[in-house]
Amino acid sequence: MRILIVVQRYGADVVGGSESHARSTAMRLSLSHHVEIATTTASDFWTWASHYPAGDDEVDGLRVRRFPVASGRSPSFKEIEDRLVFGQHSLADEERWLAAQGPHCPELLEFLHREGRSYDAVLFYTYIYEPTALGLRIVPERSALISTAHDEWPLRFAPYRALFQMPRAFGFLTPEERDVVHGVFHNGHIPYEVIGVGMDAPPEDRDASYRTRFPAGPLVVYLGQVREGKGVGELLDGWTAYRDGGGRGTLALAGVQRMEIASRDDVVALGRVSDEEKWSLLACADVLVLPSRLESLGIVLLEAWQVGTPVLVPSANKVTSGQVTRSGGGWVYDDGAFAPALAGALGAGRAPGESARRWVREECSWESFDRRLGRLLELAAA
Amino acid sequence: MRPPLLVVVQRYGEGVAGGAEAHARELTRRLAPHLDIEVLTTTAQDYRTWENHFTAGIEWVDDVPVHRFPVLRPRAWDFKLYERRAFAEGHTLEDERIFVDQQGPYSPELLEYLWRRGRDVPHVLFFTYIYYPTVRGLPIVPEKAVLVPTAHAEPALLLSIYEPVFHAPRAIAFNTEEERALVHRRFRNERVPNDILGVGVDVPADRSADRFRQRFGIEGPFVLYVGRVVESKGCRELFGHWERWRRAQPERRVTLVLAGQAEMAIPRREDVRHIGIVSDEEKYDAYEACTAVAVPELLSSMSMVTLESWACGRPVISDAASPVVWGMSRRSGGGLAYRSAAEFGEIVEMLVDQPDVARTLGASGKRFVESTYTWPRIIETYLDLFAEVRMRNA
Repeated sequence: MRILIVVQRYGADVVGGSESHARSTAMRLSLSHHVEIATTTASDFWTWASHYPAGDDEVDGLRVRRFPVASGRSPSFKEIEDRLVFGQHSLADEERWLAAQGPHCPELLEFLHREGRSYDAVLFYTYIYEPTALGLRIVPERSALISTAHDEWPLRFAPYRALFQMPRAFGFLTPEERDVVHGVFHNGHIPYEVIGVGMDAPPEDRDASYRTRFPAGPLVVYLGQVREGKGVGELLDGWTAYRDGGGRGTLALAGVQRMEIASRDDVVALGRVSDEEKWSLLACADVLVLPSRLESLGIVLLEAWQVGTPVLVPSANKVTSGQVTRSGGGWVYDDGAFAPALAGALGAGRAPGESARRWVREECSWESFDRRLGRLLELAAA
Repeated sequence: MRPPLLVVVQRYGEGVAGGAEAHARELTRRLAPHLDIEVLTTTAQDYRTWENHFTAGIEWVDDVPVHRFPVLRPRAWDFKLYERRAFAEGHTLEDERIFVDQQGPYSPELLEYLWRRGRDVPHVLFFTYIYYPTVRGLPIVPEKAVLVPTAHAEPALLLSIYEPVFHAPRAIAFNTEEERALVHRRFRNERVPNDILGVGVDVPADRSADRFRQRFGIEGPFVLYVGRVVESKGCRELFGHWERWRRAQPERRVTLVLAGQAEMAIPRREDVRHIGIVSDEEKYDAYEACTAVAVPELLSSMSMVTLESWACGRPVISDAASPVVWGMSRRSGGGLAYRSAAEFGEIVEMLVDQPDVARTLGASGKRFVESTYTWPRIIETYLDLFAEVRMRNA
């Protein structure tokens, strides 16, 4: 089959959840199909400033067609967003949202109009940006939408109403994403596949002495951006409550730090860690905590399970708590009940991590991912 | 309490001529006892200019509130230019967008109202796929939308801009099997729930062939044509076939009767009679009196004349290249089709010479209309469709 993947940014140095998913999908599909990518010249998701030259490029041996960004994010984007979410506004205001958000890329759309029908299937990544929101409607009869949606305000804006009724098939990252989309759009009649992710096996040789960098006693690890938006503030409050209640141990925060952290002996801020350190840290942790409430796919949970470490997540996050329920790889805590939940988890030991290791080996193997992608293609291809 | 329904259509009301618009009004009138209907339309009466004719605001038509929104600019005088660009090979998406805006009726206020009002209404019925109110309005309320496309094979149907109109609605109400096949071939949108609904045909019981013959002084067997006499309806071909056949068979006494406004030259000959625009009573008397009805048009989503002929038990003669009329005739057994002037002549001769054959064909057509195109069945099917839309969004 001839397959086209449409995504807002693409490249070896592009960081982003949906973008890296798009790239691994492209590489896996290219093992048995002809795959091309249509994207923009941007690499920064905020400004959408042109970074790559327009025209043909090659990434991982695949043809990447880059189209120029006619305009990036509007300087008044935040005001526009605030008005759409909180203020009086018109339909015309909502229709201007896409261009204000960027990347506005009319040439990509004209390309779909000219040549979209020469592909058997067109996979669109991320519902929210213009290339998908205005591109899918050009070739709906051969399209799959990998929406990477969560329950957020823009999901209800006018430009997306028809988008979610048109794809020939959906690729969801998790069953929870599917439930959100079905709940908002009442489009349960459109075929879908929960495609999840595929992952490489973790490296075999890890630094066994890594654990000695921390004091003796339980080691609780957080891995990700250290900022309020990811729930790290709540985590620190919960940690304090746990310690005040007589709990022992050390909390290690690994990741770029974007908030103030009061200095204390039992909290270690590691900053950004290398890939090698990451695996060593995950392997020696007694439990990984992921307090974020807005996570469309907890990759770090899957990585923890790959090395047999159990996890602790809030019940308020349907995606991560759903993952824990499915894998049996940890515990879920309710609002305000972090401290007792952590105490319980540390008392229970690593057994849940071991069973989740088997689950993730099966679920996230490349073979399983390929099978799910294959089913999605079957549903989408014209 | 009756469930609310919005009806969106480009024009509506007194003096609005047009098949789809008449269809919209008749259907609205008949749905009104079951649903709390509000019609959203424009102030235009004439589709060639979209000139603001009606007053903006609410007017009651057939006891239904009709909300009219102003047309912000008339159809461009150079509209044909934009049409040519959009239909040309290698045109752009931008050409298509401009075409839809220029074609009109351009009424952004209608869209704003639909967007606000649409939140509280469980279903919205859109008439005609091609105009601005549907192209721009349907994607605002897709999960509540039921589309009556009235599509036929024409260049506009091939444009990308119409993809959402056919892929996003919750249901599509086609007029005929043929229209459905055409749309499915073009859009591959089979997944969108759909049904053949069409329009109902009510024929008056009091029909009199004698009354017609006396009023117009027409004797002997005749073939009837009903509708505007215009090239786009296939009249030029009809006249050509008629003249060629009559040259070959000059001694036969058969007349071609044309009922409707003339918009082209009509052959001046004794065996072609133009009786102009007729009343409903005269039209049904004419069906009663004729041997067969000629429907030469190639492009339509639906032929009311065909249904009316059959409802009166008269066979239909159509062009074999017409997907809709000949397709319906084949399925119903209510008519015959020609591929040449010679075949046209043979069909007329056979129907005149063998009244039994004409009667049998007409009776088959009548059964077809009664099984599909009657108002009680159509209204019931629409109500089922709306109930399904409500349920799925509940």
